[in-house]
This record gives sequence, structure tokens and C-alpha cells, in this order.
Amino acid sequence: MTAVLIARNTFREAIRDRVLAGVVGAGAALLLLTVIARPLAMGEGTRITVDLGLSAISFLGLLVVLMVGTNLVAKEIERRTIFNLLSRPIPRPVYLVGKWAGFAGALWAVAMALGVALWAVVAVLGQPGLGLAIAEAVFLAGLELSVITAIAVMFSAISTPVLSSLYTLGLFAAGQWSDDLRRFAERAPGAMRPMLDVIANLVPNLSLFNMRSLAASGDTAPVLQLGVAVVYALLYCACVLAIGAAAFESRDFK
Amino acid sequence: MNPQQPPAPAVQSSAAGPATWPDGSQPVVPGAADGAPAIRTEGLTKVYRGNWSLKTAVGLDRLDLEVRRGEVFGYLGPNGAGKTTTLKILTGLLKPSSGRAWLMGEPIDSIQSRRSLGFLPEQPYFYDHLTGVEYLEFAASLSGLPGREAARAARHWFGRIGLGGRDRLVLRKYSKGMLQRLGLGAALVHSPRLVILDEPMSGLDPFGRRDVRDLILEQRELGTTVMLSSHILPDVEMLCDRVAIVLKGRLERVATVSDLVHGGSRSVEVRVEGAPVVELPAAWQGRVARVERSGESVFTVSDPSLLQDVLARLVQSGAVIGAVTPVRGSLEELFMAAAEESAFRASGRRRSA
Repeated sequence: MTAVLIARNTFREAIRDRVLAGVVGAGAALLLLTVIARPLAMGEGTRITVDLGLSAISFLGLLVVLMVGTNLVAKEIERRTIFNLLSRPIPRPVYLVGKWAGFAGALWAVAMALGVALWAVVAVLGQPGLGLAIAEAVFLAGLELSVITAIAVMFSAISTPVLSSLYTLGLFAAGQWSDDLRRFAERAPGAMRPMLDVIANLVPNLSLFNMRSLAASGDTAPVLQLGVAVVYALLYCACVLAIGAAAFESRDFK
Repeated sequence: MNPQQPPAPAVQSSAAGPATWPDGSQPVVPGAADGAPAIRTEGLTKVYRGNWSLKTAVGLDRLDLEVRRGEVFGYLGPNGAGKTTTLKILTGLLKPSSGRAWLMGEPIDSIQSRRSLGFLPEQPYFYDHLTGVEYLEFAASLSGLPGREAARAARHWFGRIGLGGRDRLVLRKYSKGMLQRLGLGAALVHSPRLVILDEPMSGLDPFGRRDVRDLILEQRELGTTVMLSSHILPDVEMLCDRVAIVLKGRLERVATVSDLVHGGSRSVEVRVEGAPVVELPAAWQGRVARVERSGESVFTVSDPSLLQDVLARLVQSGAVIGAVTPVRGSLEELFMAAAEESAFRASGRRRSA
């Protein structure tokens, strides 16, 4: 219950933040741009609109996480708003989970708003049947953003905002190429192999959440893939938040 | 009895808690041991360590303290004395390096200890995007009040702290004094049995200070225990039943305000009309002082045992005595004396070492 209260407050705070409004505006402008540039796409206009629209959701979401999410807990410590919360009967792990859930919820709202706008544009362009593929891709993008938010919250709880942004960006980049990292580990010479294998499995497997190309072609993902993505995202978030909570538990607020 | 609970205090509360709260409900604090002091610390110590160096600083040094239920307890000390460190340890924001503490009988490392706690941090900040009522409702909910009750309490306290009529104003537009009032409201919104206030008068104008004083006195009437730190000693003197003085992380004195004030050096002022010729014996030097003021002479007798002799001599000299007034030592004077005494002892220790 307490986590829900903190999540609701964090969601409200994020939604009222101008950064989020700016991101939605930027996403809408990007969609408009793809429509205007459609004649240059030589018949691939819809595909490009879908691909760019879905990429915009992921990219802009990442931008919000780096600008706001990595500052989520650090800002509360710096401004001392956290004193008013943690002096109440709130376990610190619950506080972290609440912050994560609220901010991830705000990102889901943005992803859905941009997803609906993308579908509307595609429908106006004469391809309303792409709705399901777009919905699935947006759903996976939401899961991806939830995982990145968990990483950002973990670093935000134990480090400075600048370092949190760098670490989060680093893990995001590594996560995008986690498949390549895994393949590289398989071919690595003896001693390096187990080490690379561990690293490849520790970084988030973000390629699991990428079905932008599939959606642009109008194809949908198998239900199994969606299920695996949901379970993976939940487990990864739980592990990351548990690490963050363990470090946060012993932190002093001077 | 919970083995972690502290032993029963030697001196019980001077004022028992109320049977019911204003709304008629019975205050229930799970696990709270009745009869345990509101606050108890044993050897509470905080050592700050640098992030990148081996340097350490003692913020609090083996604090043994007991705050009784229902009293208003002042916690005094200059900047850096360890007041805020103590309050933050009690409220769970800092982890003690060693020692133990209990709030209402519950160890401070348990969430239960904060169920009946209201805390106002020094210079509180809040979420910019919320309105005052939204924040109070949020605070009440976090402290365990159910939805409707939290909303009702938030509305009540928003008016009670003098912010009524500003319902739609977001907190980023609040003045410092308004934020301080809101912080106090947030500390009280869930009717806690123990309130810890860190510099509650900070940033307030005289009207605000009076309102805060009234609120604290109202809480005392309700049987709530209040522990407050403040630099504004006249307010402390007016509000507190007992005070503790902490200097350089160490507890120097704990006493009732009246014991401190009356137990200090007492002097008596004798006002005499005009400027009569009075010869004072050399033996009284340093114990009786004379000052001429507008149309009168004031004899300050710092040794009360001399008062009768001084009065007799004045009468013999034909002086017309206007008034004889005992001069109470102010808390401020006593506080400064304690600080000087502590510094003197510290220098003595250094010399003997």
C-alpha cells in the first residue's frame, strides 16, 4: 500500500514535469516529420513512419530516464524531501520500489500516448491493420523502459546523478549489444570466455524487447516471446532493485 | 516484554497520555510498551567518516537521554553540537555507529518506532508540483491514516496551520515561512504521540512563532510528547518542561527549566530614588554593584546573603527604596555558562594531558 502511495506521487510528479511534456511534443513532431518526408521514401513511407515512430518512443524514453530517472532519488536526497518520507513508517526498499513503479508508470503513459499517435498516423496513411503490431512493439518498449528505469533508480540510490546517468547509459548500450557480446564470449579464448559469459548475462538483454523491424513489416511477435519478455523484465527489475535496496538500506542522510 | 525494550524508567511520566484523541478514537500503537519513556537512548554514538579519507569526526558521543511521556523537551546546543545528528538518528535517517535508542518503547531500527512519530526536519522542503492539501494528505496516508481520514485530517490541518484559502497554490510558490508551517502540519497531521521538531521556529515571523508556540502547547495539552531543538532560547524557556544542553556531541546538562534558571546565580536589584550618598564597605566589592540610571540608582546584589545588610545600610543613609527585585538568570545566560564551562573543562583536560 505504501509503495502504491509513493508510486502515485512519483507518477504525478513526473507527469507534471515539463520534460515529459517536451518529450511527448518532440515525439509528435517527429511523427509529423515522417509524414511530410513520405514522398521521399519511395513507397516505403509507412514502414519508415512505423520504424521511426517506435524508435522515437525508445529513444525519447531513454532520454527521460537519463534526464529525470537517474536523478529520481538523488534529487530527493539533495532537496531533503526524503527526510519527510523516511522518517515515517516506510521501509526503504518499499520507497525504492514505489519510486521505480511511479516513474516507470509515467514512461508507460508516454509510450502509450506516442503509440496511439503513431497508430493514428498510420491509420490516416491507410494502414490501420498495423495496429496490433504497433501495440505489441509499444508494449515491449514499455518493458524495456521499465528495465532501464530500474537500473537508473538503483544507481540513483547509491550514486550521484551524473555518474548514475553514465552508468545507466553504459548498461543500456551494453544491453543493446548483449547478443553480440554473448556470441563474442563463445568465440573468446579460454580464460576470457567465462568472464565474458558472466558479463553478457549480467547486462540486460534489451534485444529481447526490440521488435521495431517486425512491426514495420506488419508482423506480430509470437505470444511466447512476449511472455518471455515479461518474465525476464520482471525478474531483471526485481534483481536490480534488490541490489539497490540493499545498498540504500545502510545509507545515511546527512 | 520485548527483550529489546528498555527497562522501565526510574522517573515516570509527569503527565499521562490522553485517554482519547480529539476525534474520539483511542490511540493504538502496535507494540509500544506502556510506561516506557517516549525517548530513551543508551550510549548513542555517531562517528562520521570521510568518503575518500580516513578522517573521522564524532557527531555524537555516548548520549544517554530519557524523555518522559507527555513532556515538552528542549534540546539545545550551538551549531555543530550534535542536535540534528541526534534527531536524525532517532527518526531513522542516520544509522548510529554504536549505542541503542527507543521511541515509545520500540527500538529505532524497527519501522514500528516511527508509527507514532511526527517529525519536522530543519528547513523542510517538499514536492514543488503538489498543493499544500495534497501534500498533507500524502503525509497522512504514509503515516497510516486510511484514505478518507487522511483527506479529512489534511483539510483540518491545512486550516489549522494558517494556510487555509490557498488550496490551489503549488508548493514551489510557498514562502519559507509557509513551508515551515506546512512541515509542522505534516508532522502533526496523523495525530502522533511523539513529535520531534528540529528548529520549528526557523524562518518564521513573530506571528508565525506565536502560532507554532500555541500549537506546541496544544500538543502538550493533548498529552503528546514533544522534543524540539531550537536556537531561540526565550521560546524554549517558555515552552519546555525540561531541557538538555549538548555541546560538541556530548550531553552537558539535563534539568527542568526552572531548576536551571533558579539554580543559576541569583542576584537582587535594589532601586533607590535619586543618587543618595551611600558608602559601601570594601568587603562588598564584587558582590554589590551600583549603577546610576535616569533619576535612580540601582544596586545589584549578586550575593543574596548580603541583601539584609545592604538594605539596612541604604535605610541608614536616608535612601528611599523604590523596589527590590530578584533577577532571574535567563536560559540564554545559563546556556552560555554551560558552553564556557565545557570549554574550560576541555582546556583543563588538554593541559593535564
